[in-house]
Amino acid sequence: MEFNSQVKENSSFFIKQGAEARVFESSFVGKRCIVKERFSKKYRHPILDTKLTLKRLNAEARCMTKARRLGVLTPVLYAVDVVSHTLTFEYVEASSVKDVFLDFGSHGIVEERMNDIAFNIGAALGKLHDGGLIHGDLTTSNMLICKDTNSLVLIDFGLSFTSTIPEDKAVDLYVLERALVSMHSSCGNVMDRILAGYRKSSKQWCSTLNKLAQVRQRGRKRTMIG
Amino acid sequence: MVQRSAPLLSPSTCLVFSGRRSVKKLAMKVFEVGGTTLCLSLFTDVTNSKELLDLMQSATLEPEVAFLNASLIPDIFPVLAAAHKTLVAKSRDSLTTRTPHSELVYNYSGSKHISESLKRCGIADNTSYILAARFGASADEMVTIEKLIKGNEIDLKELEERKNQAQIQKHYKISNLELEVSSLADAITCRIAARDAL
Repeated sequence: MEFNSQVKENSSFFIKQGAEARVFESSFVGKRCIVKERFSKKYRHPILDTKLTLKRLNAEARCMTKARRLGVLTPVLYAVDVVSHTLTFEYVEASSVKDVFLDFGSHGIVEERMNDIAFNIGAALGKLHDGGLIHGDLTTSNMLICKDTNSLVLIDFGLSFTSTIPEDKAVDLYVLERALVSMHSSCGNVMDRILAGYRKSSKQWCSTLNKLAQVRQRGRKRTMIG
Repeated sequence: MVQRSAPLLSPSTCLVFSGRRSVKKLAMKVFEVGGTTLCLSLFTDVTNSKELLDLMQSATLEPEVAFLNASLIPDIFPVLAAAHKTLVAKSRDSLTTRTPHSELVYNYSGSKHISESLKRCGIADNTSYILAARFGASADEMVTIEKLIKGNEIDLKELEERKNQAQIQKHYKISNLELEVSSLADAITCRIAARDAL
């Protein structure tokens, strides 16, 4: 029995780079996969840098799997590698909600499909928030519609955290609302339909939506005076 | 534009010559994982699990094999994910347990408790349904392994049907809520991958 000293990395193709990570497409024991690599930031002190990178890597893995436990679809996590700072997950054959909505904007809205998607988004967020999980970066590009099953898949839990306070949930929804207004204003009021779905699935919708009204008045950041 | 890479997985059914002319077809399958191979074969009605366990615990099992409690395995993919994790750890000399094969069992369990993992996901005295796994096995070695295990070898496709769902859900703490959106195999894979992040 012989082991290669280095586990062979399959050829991977660069897809995108964000502020904190690069995303590649590759394959994992025969399945198509996505690899998300967090890179080090040279402007940070090296000790702090590794600490932050690892903390966020692990937090993302935890939150993704927690979301699944709460009944919200996320890509299946295949592997976590703390040495190369990578997460490997399932390649989901899907189009982003952003693309679907933009398509509605330019080619006319299919009301039924629109309602369906908005309701599903609300329902998924209700489940997450009731379970004490805040996504932290809710935009339409972080939501996918699976091509085969038409189900909603949430991605990018890089800014996720656990919290049960209405404030955090309300800010989470507020971020989504702002993203919808700036990106998809031609689609009409999607947020109301999302909130209708949210109300149906979340038991704590009342306190969250009250808080949301307050957050709307003052913006995402709490005033830090006094 | 991204290019699509061809799937690497090529499960090949092994043909072994036994006797002069007859060809015995084994249900054993070989999978490519991280630059090496993983050979899997599945057995039911195994009668000598106590013997196998003793051999393994005295480290005299030759060749070395991992025995997994197959009723906890609904699909091979989680096993391959655990194998991949094992090989990565092996390549960095950071195995938690003594050998890659015990590490495979430990990794498959998705828990951090080594002895408990080996007890639950490995075999006990009376286990009769076993998945045998070996890294980088030669055809000869697989034949030896098949002789070692006294039971009926069956196709890996039977894993799905023979799984013990209640036991799996209990061991991995998979709620029915999760199963509404996810398959058992996916839920197990997530737990295997995320274990060290928890």
